[in-house]
Amino acid sequence: MDKGLLAYLYIPLFTAVVIPFLPKSKPKLADLFANATLLAGLANLAWLCLRPSVIASGFISVPGNGLSLLLVGLIYLVALCVTFFSANYLPEAMPNRGAYYSLLMVSVAAMCGIVTTSDFFTLYVFIEVLAVTSFALITVDETLGGVEGALKYFLLTFPASALIMAGISILLLTLGSLSYESLRTAMSSGLPAGPVTFGVALMMLGFLIKSGVAPFHTWTPDAYQGAYAPVSAHLGGIVTKISGVYAVLKTATLMNFFDGRAQGLSSGIMFLGMLSIAVGALAALRQKDFKRMLAFSSISQVGYIVLAAGLGTPLAVIGAIFHLFNHATFKTVLFLNSASVERSAGTTDMTKLGGLEHSMPWTSWTSVIALLSTAGVPPLSGFWSKLLIILALWESGFKTYAVLALLFSIVTLAYFMMMQKKVFFGKKPAEAGAAPEVSPQLLAPAVLMSAIIVAAGLLFPYFYSYVRMAAERIIL
Amino acid sequence: MSAFSLDWYFITLLIFVGLYGMLVSRSIIRQLIGLEIVSKAAMLAVISAGALTSNLMLAQALIITMIVVEVVVVAAGLALLVKAHRLSGSADIWKLDSLKG
Repeated sequence: MDKGLLAYLYIPLFTAVVIPFLPKSKPKLADLFANATLLAGLANLAWLCLRPSVIASGFISVPGNGLSLLLVGLIYLVALCVTFFSANYLPEAMPNRGAYYSLLMVSVAAMCGIVTTSDFFTLYVFIEVLAVTSFALITVDETLGGVEGALKYFLLTFPASALIMAGISILLLTLGSLSYESLRTAMSSGLPAGPVTFGVALMMLGFLIKSGVAPFHTWTPDAYQGAYAPVSAHLGGIVTKISGVYAVLKTATLMNFFDGRAQGLSSGIMFLGMLSIAVGALAALRQKDFKRMLAFSSISQVGYIVLAAGLGTPLAVIGAIFHLFNHATFKTVLFLNSASVERSAGTTDMTKLGGLEHSMPWTSWTSVIALLSTAGVPPLSGFWSKLLIILALWESGFKTYAVLALLFSIVTLAYFMMMQKKVFFGKKPAEAGAAPEVSPQLLAPAVLMSAIIVAAGLLFPYFYSYVRMAAERIIL
Repeated sequence: MSAFSLDWYFITLLIFVGLYGMLVSRSIIRQLIGLEIVSKAAMLAVISAGALTSNLMLAQALIITMIVVEVVVVAAGLALLVKAHRLSGSADIWKLDSLKG
């Protein structure tokens, strides 16, 4: 456990315990508590790593491994956007408002646990805590769609947990301990790597199911589409990225894939990553629902991260970390915008929407920024991460994968352009009612995230030096 | 055949029994039972691994934590099942198809 970061875990947990005891007559107090906790955490993190002196020294003085700190910051950022959005989105008379915020806070705490832990068993426990809070959050509006999505999520993540447990048992058998360090030592020693790789492969399979990679992606669209609107931003933006993709990335760096001792596992993961890029992008082309299309796009983008994690060279790891960050920012913007569209126009069915550009300009233009970043258009952040991943692939001789990754990036642009045309540009269908712009409070999170997308793209050198420091610390 | 290889034989068997139960049944309750069998097999694997490497204390601690975690997960799953049954009137997984694309 990275002890310096434990406070980021305890404080949201403490808030989660306090919220149910707040007076029932003042429901807004729960909003205030949740937002204040996350904002304080973010301010603290900004002080820790965005001071000019720290930036000038190349982030040497950042404590712990830089990756945990970056991801804790990301978790707080996305969660703050979600809680701020929910504070203005939830109906005034919602009966379980306190429970909703408590669950959000517990899920933030569990995610911080996942990124700060340093042994596989603790990782497993926090992943389970996160899964339980996600089931409850998905069904918070008590519609059949939500329950159905949560049930499908449940029926696929539970076997994944059993696989992780089986992998843990094999590791216990072969290593005698479950810490990350013992795995790294075993992989860099001269002992035969076969049994250890088998155990890790079982765990990887579990993590891949949880991150919704291609052959196991069937729960993802249902869960994202059925979830309550702000919750789908939380789920798509950060929860599945942390519970699945981060675990895959971390285990991949521990396995030292680039020195070729676990070649089979490495190429298997890369294949699944590529498959997921292709399946996600092609399926997104023919979606009719806004949120469902975003879910398939999410599957496709996760594929890039998994592909880079499977390659495992330092450049690929840098690209993967950067894409993880970017994915969280632009997917949060898009899901929050879909929630705004749902609030304003009453539906997310793209055949019934159109011409919202004039009545909802802010929502429309933040979506444009996010989708251009997703597709990898130059000055924005998504371009740099995809460039790093494709360069890493090309450099290591996987030229087919590199070309395919580039081509599917164009497909990404295609389906997002279709989405933008159907929802925001184009003609308004005759039967659609007026769709006024949502209130500034609902727009603020999307605008903030769009600003971060642009800033991360323009200030890429600073960001790169941070991520390179993080990657060096976790690989060496 | 030593006792331990027999252990692992049964663990594999149990995992496949559970997965088979999940795949062939339409009722969500039966699928949950299948899932439980799979996860119990995984727990047996942990305790067997602990006994084999004379690390039984650690394995027992892990198992107790796993049981607690699993109880919570199963309770959440059963709550979802009850909700789904109330809203749709059936516990048949193939009838839950309102989300499509």
